[in-house]
Amino acid sequence: MFRRSVISALLVCLTLFAAARTRPHYGGTLRIETQGDPWQMPDGIARRLVLDTLTTAADTGEARPSLAVRWESQNAAHRWEFWIRAGVHFQDGEALTSDTVAAALTDVCSRPSPGMGACPWRTVRGVGSSVVFVSDVPVPDLPELLAQTEFAIARQDATGAVVGTGPFRVTGYANGALTLAENDDCWSGRPFADVVEVRTRRAVRDQWLDLSVGKADIVEVPPELLRQAEQQHLSVLQSRPVDLLVLTIAPNGWLASREIRQSAAMAVDRTALYNVIFQKQGEVTGSLLPQELSGYAFLFSPDRDLDRARALRGGASPSSLMLGAEDTTSTMQLATERLALNLREAGFNVQVAQSGSRQTSALMLRRVHLEATGAEAALDEMLSRFGQNRAGSMTGTGTDAAALWQEERGVLDNETIVPLLWLPRAWAVGERVRDLRLLSDGEPDLSDASLEGAK
Amino acid sequence: MKSARYNPPQRMMDKRCLAVALLLVFLFPTARAANWEQPAGELAKQIAALAGPGPVRLTIRNDSSLAASEIPAIRRLLERDLRGFGVVTGGSESATLIRITLSENLQGGLWVAEVVEGTETRVTMLPVSLGSTVSPAGGGPSLTLRRTLMITEIDPVLDAQIFSAGNVQRLVVLEPEQIVTYTRSAVGTSFVEEAGWVEDQRFAITHTRPFPRDIRGELVAAQDHLFDAYLPGAMCSGTNTGAQVAVVCGDSDDPWPVGLTQRAFYNSMRDSFTGVLAPGFGMEIAPFYQASDIPRPTGAGMLLNTVDGRVMLIENSTLKPVSGANDWGSDFAVVRSECGSGVQVLVSGSGAATAADSLRAYEIVGREAIAVSAPLSVDGAVTAVHAASGGTGATVIVRKDAPPRYEVWNVSALCN
Repeated sequence: MFRRSVISALLVCLTLFAAARTRPHYGGTLRIETQGDPWQMPDGIARRLVLDTLTTAADTGEARPSLAVRWESQNAAHRWEFWIRAGVHFQDGEALTSDTVAAALTDVCSRPSPGMGACPWRTVRGVGSSVVFVSDVPVPDLPELLAQTEFAIARQDATGAVVGTGPFRVTGYANGALTLAENDDCWSGRPFADVVEVRTRRAVRDQWLDLSVGKADIVEVPPELLRQAEQQHLSVLQSRPVDLLVLTIAPNGWLASREIRQSAAMAVDRTALYNVIFQKQGEVTGSLLPQELSGYAFLFSPDRDLDRARALRGGASPSSLMLGAEDTTSTMQLATERLALNLREAGFNVQVAQSGSRQTSALMLRRVHLEATGAEAALDEMLSRFGQNRAGSMTGTGTDAAALWQEERGVLDNETIVPLLWLPRAWAVGERVRDLRLLSDGEPDLSDASLEGAK
Repeated sequence: MKSARYNPPQRMMDKRCLAVALLLVFLFPTARAANWEQPAGELAKQIAALAGPGPVRLTIRNDSSLAASEIPAIRRLLERDLRGFGVVTGGSESATLIRITLSENLQGGLWVAEVVEGTETRVTMLPVSLGSTVSPAGGGPSLTLRRTLMITEIDPVLDAQIFSAGNVQRLVVLEPEQIVTYTRSAVGTSFVEEAGWVEDQRFAITHTRPFPRDIRGELVAAQDHLFDAYLPGAMCSGTNTGAQVAVVCGDSDDPWPVGLTQRAFYNSMRDSFTGVLAPGFGMEIAPFYQASDIPRPTGAGMLLNTVDGRVMLIENSTLKPVSGANDWGSDFAVVRSECGSGVQVLVSGSGAATAADSLRAYEIVGREAIAVSAPLSVDGAVTAVHAASGGTGATVIVRKDAPPRYEVWNVSALCN
């Protein structure tokens, strides 16, 4: 399945860049537009260009060296030592040391971002050229976890601006556009483009218009618009499934009963969401991990069982339940309406929260991004996104798929998290962009992209 | 357009190809089927531990990249092995259902067995190696490109060359941060060793300036020592010290050799040659990616591809554009063979940097590049082409993405 996806993605790439002729050229301004905030966690596009992590995630799941060149676990994965790459400098010229790394990671843990779980270690400190992590429970997949942008290494320069060791540095923000300039001394090599300009909070239709008139080079294609992009002959790069559409159920009040939560979970019609709202993009799922990562996702049935849902509800008629969506896009609102319809069919009295309402509803539709490419790290990451930590139950067996399945089953059996669809990310690319690849989590790798005709 | 003339294809060659094809067709499935013995036995054991002896119903679903034609063989093995544990399949009335899914994840195959008894379902899983597949060989109408895999590396490879000192042959592999040497071995167990090369020594490449993103490098045989390695802003020298090699590296802006007599200055920040040659030809040359001597009827010439995508020929102190090179990528090597004019240019395709690529041989007739082989399809991206030591072949580096790895090939031309 995964290989088929990769082959499909590669075929798209092949078609897209068939006109490439020579090695990439340096120079030029790469213009990208997004609906979101370029600094948002975990997938802000600017964050990845400015900051580096200790490791990176290979497509095959394992961690690769980045700011750390090697690592070693001790004491049954309770203690980890990461050796820091020599000769790396922040964009303000200050050298990267084990102490600055430890300070940056301590700062991350002291101020967790919304939707992020606790850090998987108890202490982190610099010792010579290495950074030592100590945890109360074994963390066998710490190298994979440290590849997440949540754990990117940042510090503030003398002016208070955030600096990192990545290929670009922030140079300004004006009129809704963030400007980033190349970092000539980047340890991983100077990027090809001189400047990246990120226009933020731009509606998709405006992005597509800008692409068509040559004012943008890379724009977003939501999964539900992939067919439309195809019809408009846009050159599109599509990722593997990286966003989980999920219904969360707060176990409070009437929903404190597991049977009632199970009833709600059985009432949802994933196939309708897939066919109608998301235009048959992505994959229907009952699992927290994509099938291609775990190989066992099919064991979690995504089928609707309305009769069983009604039976489990048992004729109870509670007061009204609120169903909300975490983001305010029209697609998420439509999906929320569709879910409300499903739940009403099972006898639930559901009201849809107004778009933009900040109030947390008992039932929430969320879109959760996945960065990890290894099954174990992916489960850790997903649980972290739901405010849970898997660390306490870790067996240390690492890649044992059956043990991982049992852990995931234990989480899903609680019926507070109802996975619905795994969705890809996609980007439309202008003619002058060369060699753009998507990172394993579906974000464009702008540091390796170049521009046709740049000198 | 002129066409090069070669001997017509020989029937014997066709028969040999047919024989090889038949061998692959008949032997390969057998080899793959044999691979399932062990996992089928292991999964049967796990299932038997859950289900216990007795009649069962068995279903098998393939949700992996395995060919459908392989499933019957796997089913037969599973049924046989289950029988060995007293679990008899085919009991259509049995209350026990064994549902096997041949699945797949990033690490490879994952065989999942669900033992369903009433409302209870127990699950067991087994990771399985799916093995590798055979790539189709390429061929051409008049000249055939033959490729031989030398080694496969996880880390990026910039160049690889074989150097001889006395009776010892060494494969030297240039990577961005290290040089790895291999020596020949008669017998091996790993993939690298199967090709006859066993890792010998590793040397870190010291440099103070960061390397460019699309780093290039080149290994060149030296006159008074074993080899020189050129990298952007750095240079290493390898010396044979009896049974071992010693390597010394340091920062360097020395020009890189691009022919017997010419050297070219390298722009480390742009990863291309500046266009300045020493001693030069007395003319201005645009920045270029690669240059090589090429024998011409009038004497020696130099072929180069400029950063703006043109292929140029320096001949008789004049710079001329070469036509027919629109499909050329950025990498080429001039190789000698027994075919045609005896000199061909092996060129990478102009395809994607991320997907399938190709190699093709050309001859430069006058000022025209004429294809003399069919494209040799490359399952991956060609990241470098260098003339191999001796000049009769080329070292080709191919990046593959799933799983990520770099293959080093020796490519040579065979006359048809």
